[in-house]
Amino acid sequence: MPSVLIANLWLLLGGAATTVELSVASATLAALIGFALAVLQVFGGALLRGIAEVYVYFVRGVPLLVLLFAMYYMLPYSGIDLPPTLGGILVIALYFAAFMSEVFRGAILAVPRAQWDAGRGLGMRSRVLLSLVILPQALRLAAPPFVNTCVMLIKSTSLVSVIGLLELTLSGRQIVERTLAAFQIFGGVALIYFVLCYCLSLYARHLEKRLAYAH
Amino acid sequence: MSFGWNFVARNLPLFAEGAIVTIQLSVLAILAALVWGLVIVLARLSRWRLLALTATGYIELVRNTPVLVQMYFIYFGLAFAGLPLSGFASALLALTLQNGGYIAEIYRAGIESISRNQIDAARGLGMRKLLVLRLVVLPQAFFRIVPAIGNQFVVMIKDTSLASTLSVAELMQAARILTDRTAATYEVFVTLAAFYLVMTAFVTLLLRLCERRIAALR
Repeated sequence: MPSVLIANLWLLLGGAATTVELSVASATLAALIGFALAVLQVFGGALLRGIAEVYVYFVRGVPLLVLLFAMYYMLPYSGIDLPPTLGGILVIALYFAAFMSEVFRGAILAVPRAQWDAGRGLGMRSRVLLSLVILPQALRLAAPPFVNTCVMLIKSTSLVSVIGLLELTLSGRQIVERTLAAFQIFGGVALIYFVLCYCLSLYARHLEKRLAYAH
Repeated sequence: MSFGWNFVARNLPLFAEGAIVTIQLSVLAILAALVWGLVIVLARLSRWRLLALTATGYIELVRNTPVLVQMYFIYFGLAFAGLPLSGFASALLALTLQNGGYIAEIYRAGIESISRNQIDAARGLGMRKLLVLRLVVLPQAFFRIVPAIGNQFVVMIKDTSLASTLSVAELMQAARILTDRTAATYEVFVTLAAFYLVMTAFVTLLLRLCERRIAALR
């Protein structure tokens, strides 16, 4: 029975490679945008903070699939011709940027007040204080939830199969249409996702432990 | 290009029909997941090692695979195995299985957050283990997990949109059909997003009220 899976393993692994590429690209972009949003939320004026908060609120209340479809259907009507892969990466990145911003914001606010006061007391300017004292500590605090958000992101890349991007999930669907061996193939697909995500989950747990030990 | 309010108003019943299915799916799935999560956490905390290990493996498996793949596995797998399940039932099953894993972990965090001293004190007062669980651990744990359960519910409402890939006539599917038929993409997706926002905002609001009630109780 698993011979179907073995025969199609290379196809699935090819899809998995695309999934990894999509994930790395959108996670990097999401981290950058998320960090910027977090800095706006903590240090920006009332207007910028308001904009960032509305953005985060909107994204957290709407399914990713809705935004993917919106991109897929609306952009051609607006006359913007975006390659689907790039569009998928952009939507996922913009979506997860909201979650990443919460991660970074929480981490910045978790740096003890005394660190700020001490820096000020030593005569540091805001920029120096931020880059030398606050952000290095905040980023360390942000590491475990950041990795956990990446796990969420990898799982969510499966949604781009619905708009026709040939990654792991869509490869699985195509093989199933040909072979009808749904349990084996989707079982294999799930297993590949599991290997990717579980390794990261374990890494996040390791980071958490190290952080707990350091404090 | 102006926004077609008339179009939205005319098609509101279609969206509402879809929204009702989305609400049905969400409520049924969260209720089932709350019960299933309890079964899983009891197995996870059991003294019988094999059972605890199986539960841990289950939790890791469902939490580290996409719910979309789980839906396909159930829907297409059972169909080709000659036991066809409807799209709605498959989606419900997949959402229950995955969220049961998440909720089991939430329960566990709640139970383990109760200080060991309290349990020792209750035992010292001569309470039986079950009584300690019922009178000391569970009431406190319950209040602590309410926010996390609420967040999980919001995530799950959004995940019900994936049922559209199994042709379940929920909100997302209603929007897809309407877009294919009318090409009024702008109007359709703004309305669709608004529907989801209202639903998730409602749950968030309910959650806030619950939290305030709990804070007042203490």
